[in-house]
Amino acid sequence: MSELAVRNEIRRWRQENPAMTQAELARICGVTRQTIIALEAEKYSPSLELAFRLARALDRKLEEVFRFEEK
Amino acid sequence: MTSIQRRSWMLLSLAALGAAGMFLGPDGWLGIDIGPVGAAVLYAALWLFALHLWKHADAAFPADASLAERQSWIAAVFVSLIALHWLNFLLMLPDLGATADQISSPASRRFAVNLGMSLFAWIVIAAAVRSGNREAVELDERDLRIQHAADRTGSGLMAVLIIGIICALATQPEALAPWMRPLIVANALVGLLIVKTLAENVFIVVRYRRERA
Repeated sequence: MSELAVRNEIRRWRQENPAMTQAELARICGVTRQTIIALEAEKYSPSLELAFRLARALDRKLEEVFRFEEK
Repeated sequence: MTSIQRRSWMLLSLAALGAAGMFLGPDGWLGIDIGPVGAAVLYAALWLFALHLWKHADAAFPADASLAERQSWIAAVFVSLIALHWLNFLLMLPDLGATADQISSPASRRFAVNLGMSLFAWIVIAAAVRSGNREAVELDERDLRIQHAADRTGSGLMAVLIIGIICALATQPEALAPWMRPLIVANALVGLLIVKTLAENVFIVVRYRRERA
């Protein structure tokens, strides 16, 4: 069976809004800026709740921000 | 690496040098007892490090290190120091003879003083780092997940060590009987706690580093 991983487009959608810095996104989602850095680098897979918070903060649907695909 | 971070490493290196002199230094080198000199260097460096962190808590660590990661680095340094004090105390036990069973023996007192100083310095430095934190959130789900993984690793290691001790006691009861004295058993339990805490903090430091790589 192929290995699957959670991929994301957080950086791409965040950079569409110049006011949305990593610190601002972290503040809105209630996490540390370091967690946003780890998420954007795909070093960390968020909980379902955080995934929804991120999608809401970026004003996107969940599936536009996260994908589940082969490594 | 910034000049503030370089100064942090310099002070930590000086502390490590002092610790090496304190634990490994010869008793009489050019007429100087290296042990107390090493201890003085170690604690002077640690207090300077505490002051340095108090002034530059935000800049002393990499910008992408969270408060939890910074605290785990500090914990790893201080638990290592406490482990060294404990090992030093254990090495002294055979020379103490009957006084090893007395809690007021000079070696026990010295260990207690060193332990107290290390814990106090740890609290001061941890408070300094916390006061310099500018993030709104101190601990989030990623930090908690790493801490849970570290807890599991520490508990697993502790279980292995306890099973090892049980097997040793069951298979060699006569050989171990002379060691079954209250203070020696108490020290073994202290050692187990130190090893567990050290393993957890090293795990946390390594995991954060790996996630940032």
